[in-house]
Amino acid sequence: MRYLLIDHITELEPGKVIRGVKNVAMSEDFLEFHFPRNPIMPGVMLLEALTQLTGWYEAASSDFKSWFLISRVRKSNFYGFAFPGDQVELEVEPIESEDPSVRAYRGRGTVNGKKKIVADFEGTLIPLDEIEDVQGQKRFYQVLRRELKQR
Amino acid sequence: MRFLYYDRVDSLDKNVKIAGAKTFTLSEEFLRSHFRKQALVPGVIYIEAMAQLLGWLIIYSHDFNLSAVMSLVEDVKVPPALRPGFTAEIHGEIISTSRRDSLGRAWITIDGEVVASMNRIIYSHVHKVNPQDLRDLFYYYSGIRTVSSENA
Repeated sequence: MRYLLIDHITELEPGKVIRGVKNVAMSEDFLEFHFPRNPIMPGVMLLEALTQLTGWYEAASSDFKSWFLISRVRKSNFYGFAFPGDQVELEVEPIESEDPSVRAYRGRGTVNGKKKIVADFEGTLIPLDEIEDVQGQKRFYQVLRRELKQR
Repeated sequence: MRFLYYDRVDSLDKNVKIAGAKTFTLSEEFLRSHFRKQALVPGVIYIEAMAQLLGWLIIYSHDFNLSAVMSLVEDVKVPPALRPGFTAEIHGEIISTSRRDSLGRAWITIDGEVVASMNRIIYSHVHKVNPQDLRDLFYYYSGIRTVSSENA
């Protein structure tokens, strides 16, 4: 499995919001186990999608100097299920944090306008160059934004 | 990748508590892209580990006649940046359970130190299940061969 839970970043307003998409495919490895003969996108994978979208938000807002690591979930509600074939539209926005060293966000995921996840979560920023090749990550961001020029 | 975040069940006490373990290795699939310069276990995986293990306690406590799907987690702490190469001891407790849903809490220790905690998790129950299938899966996944089950 490629642990990449965002397929497309559709919108970024630095300081405000990032929006993206995760398409749930029957070929996802996790659907074999979650659940046997009853494939449902795991709620935790929706939370990971929001976490990764937050990473892209912080990277794109910092000229790819920072990435986000989750350390706390204040609350995450899971509504109904996301099934294979569903397109989950995701968005993350920063919210207030009492501790200035901690970043807080609210994330939402919907399928056809119906709520699937709403999560308030927190974490810290880590220098991107400590965990990823920065140029490679920039290029992948362009792929997700569909900004790569055809050669 | 197998989406199973416990390797064994060490103890279970019907309607009360469960303990199990998961060893995180460098061969975990998710580490290929999380991340390329440093292998860090994703924080949400600990949530899944706690949810899966406690979920089995609920299923076991209801004699495999239902399945449990996470519908809310609250007040969760996870370690953001642990490198693989450790064994997580996973603990879960049922606070209340009914035919309809269950409330519980869970935590993870490494070498006796609490590294993750989930103070509130709610599961919705699903009743369209095949109890024998669930029982077989549980024996296989848990490694427990002598589960006593009143309705077996």
